[in-house]
Amino acid sequence: MSADTFDIQAVSPMREGPAERKGNAVANVERSEFVLEVNNFSVDYGVGENMVRAVNDVTLHLRRSKVLGVAGESGSGKSTLVYAMTRLLRAPGVISGGSVTLNFTSRDDEKEFTTLNLVTASEKELRKIRWSHVSIVLQSALSALNPVLRVGREFDEVLKTHRPDMSKAQRRARAVELLTMVGLNDDRLARYPHELSGGQRQRIMIALALALDPDLVIMDEPTTALDVVTQREIISELHDLRSRFGFALIFITHDLSLLVELADEIVVMYAGEIVERAGASELYEAPRHPYTLGLLNSFPPLHGPRRELSGIPGSPPDLSDLPAGCNFYPRCPFAMSRCENEAPALTAIENSDRSVACWLHSSDSSVPVPVELSRTVNPARNPVTTLKERP
Amino acid sequence: MRMIIRRLSLYALTAWVAITVNFLLPRLMPGNPVQTMIGKLTGQVTAAEMNAIQLSFGGSFKQGLFAQYFTYLTQLFHGNFGSSITLGAPVGAILRESVPWTVGLIGVSTIVSFAVGTFAGALLGWTRGSRLDSLIPTATFFQAIPYFFLGTVMLLVFASNLHWFPVLGAYSQNATPGWNWNFVGNVIRYGELPVISIVLSSIAGWMLGMRNMMITMVGEDFVLMAVAKGLPRRKVIMHAARNAILPSIANLSLAIGLVVSGALLVELVFNYPGVGDLLLQAVLNEDYPLIQGIFLVITLTVLCANLIADVVYLALDPRTRTEAAV
Ligand SMILES: Nc1ncnc2c1ncn2[C@@H]1O[C@H](COP(=O)(O)OP(=O)(O)O)[C@@H](O)[C@H]1O
Ligand code: SF4
Ligand SMILES: [Mg+2]
Repeated sequence: MSADTFDIQAVSPMREGPAERKGNAVANVERSEFVLEVNNFSVDYGVGENMVRAVNDVTLHLRRSKVLGVAGESGSGKSTLVYAMTRLLRAPGVISGGSVTLNFTSRDDEKEFTTLNLVTASEKELRKIRWSHVSIVLQSALSALNPVLRVGREFDEVLKTHRPDMSKAQRRARAVELLTMVGLNDDRLARYPHELSGGQRQRIMIALALALDPDLVIMDEPTTALDVVTQREIISELHDLRSRFGFALIFITHDLSLLVELADEIVVMYAGEIVERAGASELYEAPRHPYTLGLLNSFPPLHGPRRELSGIPGSPPDLSDLPAGCNFYPRCPFAMSRCENEAPALTAIENSDRSVACWLHSSDSSVPVPVELSRTVNPARNPVTTLKERP
Repeated sequence: MRMIIRRLSLYALTAWVAITVNFLLPRLMPGNPVQTMIGKLTGQVTAAEMNAIQLSFGGSFKQGLFAQYFTYLTQLFHGNFGSSITLGAPVGAILRESVPWTVGLIGVSTIVSFAVGTFAGALLGWTRGSRLDSLIPTATFFQAIPYFFLGTVMLLVFASNLHWFPVLGAYSQNATPGWNWNFVGNVIRYGELPVISIVLSSIAGWMLGMRNMMITMVGEDFVLMAVAKGLPRRKVIMHAARNAILPSIANLSLAIGLVVSGALLVELVFNYPGVGDLLLQAVLNEDYPLIQGIFLVITLTVLCANLIADVVYLALDPRTRTEAAV
């Protein structure tokens, strides 16, 4: 694929009017409503014979200040998707197609809105948006923090790199402010990572991610390594922080029940593809894809009535040997004959703002949709509303 | 802090054991070393000489063992190692002449080899698969050649034939030792070839060790985070290197012991007036007091070097400090 195919001019419909080219970044008069637009994005591991496609033709658009949940079993390509998107993917991973457009407000000029195709951006351009506009929190804060540096150094370094005009005292004050935001005492700054608890370390990572007021924060299973109580606390803190600072958030997890309280929209991934996309409560209360239903049945909900845990039968797909038709076919309790050889595409469901990749919901389907997959949302019992409307 | 005190007491204990073994060894040897030694001396042995020899073993053998031990320790404490039989001078004075040469030569070579090797290794690890990788077989080649051969060939080619370096010894025969630039410059000039030869033969270990650790580090999350933070490349490499160097420092304490034994060969090849050269003479002449003194000094020097490497490690890795405080 030639570099031209990635040309930002060809990708996004947002840019009209006079656009001034600055290398790969384009200054914009009009602010896009999306902070991130991912189009037909694919990622492979390896080349030739042993190549597997870990992310296949993913398209997703994230509005400013919104939370997108990404769910799926381990191995479904969630991490690969976000690492590749932010150009942090390491060998043998390669981006094999698509575009990723970041729309951000340039810091030099408050009124200047800038657009950058991350797929074609140079290292220099990437360094400019890294952490200032897009920050990331990983699953294990213990391994994400440099073990031989005091926590304070991590804050200092980030601020020093991106805000060179801040004085040492200002940087320290900012670090203290950030720690307070996540409920930690400033004496933590003098500690080394191994001297802190898992919850404290993850809070520090979150504080660090917010240090430069980014447009987008990406969290890859940030609570998976923590106990349930800490998980809960951190999710609700994140909820507050997000409404205070208005960053957009991509929150990855294999536990759908975590997302329902935090996310505005959720995409479910299977074998590197998005199989369902819907508003958080719609997806949680009224799943449409058999895989989503299976995921929901594999975790106890944090709140509300307990469901019987049934999990998903069978084992995760082998990327080097995918089924000919629907990827979920070998494990699907509702599989039909056409599923074996025809792959369903992600299609919008009529009269709704959601999409699903499953033949059951196809308009020409002769089989009635099973009752589990045709529930409707009951607004009165929606746990999302309760948490979100808390003062 | 408590960790440092604990380490220090451990080293003090080791030093004490070394000194005690040094005291006991000649006494555990079959026969009477004093008699053996007197047998070696030609001509009449005066009572004074007899006394000197006995003193060099820590006092008269007629005393009780504890009294001897006590005398021995007191003598040591005053820097008195007895007298060399063949050189007829106090061992302490002889050692003061030769120890600085060895410590200087070996110390400088080890530091240069460690620093250059570690730096090159960090670069190689970071740019894995680049053309720089061809440095590895070259360095391994030099390490594989026996040092004696490598040193001799270098001496013959670069000093004797090409005259790029002075030939033998630690300084020119025309130079008068002293703390002036002339003499120091002369010493450096004479030290170049031995240092280069030691560095060549030992650098591969540091380079490979650091390279492999660097490659491991590149896969670590905190290095990925350093990139994600938009840090300049130099700082990202530092994040990795700062952690990758830890095993090398731990190895440094081990290497110091080996390096000292290597000193013997270096000094032999380049006719360098250090402890190695001295030890060879002492062994050939069965000069026990001198041998004992040299062993003691080597042991204590290695202990000191180890202590320094240990303290550096403690300073660089906060995790070791807390584990110790528990
Ligand atoms: N370095 C790699 N080389 C080859 N395949 C990989 C590599 N890393 C991940 N994969 C494959 O890519 C798929 C997606 O992995 P990942 O993105 O880590 O999933 P998730 O984050 O959803 O658990 C998995 O099937 C995994 O086997
Ligand atoms: S397309 Fe068929 S196999 Fe795939 S999820 Fe839907 S019903 Fe199951
Ligand atoms: Mg993952």
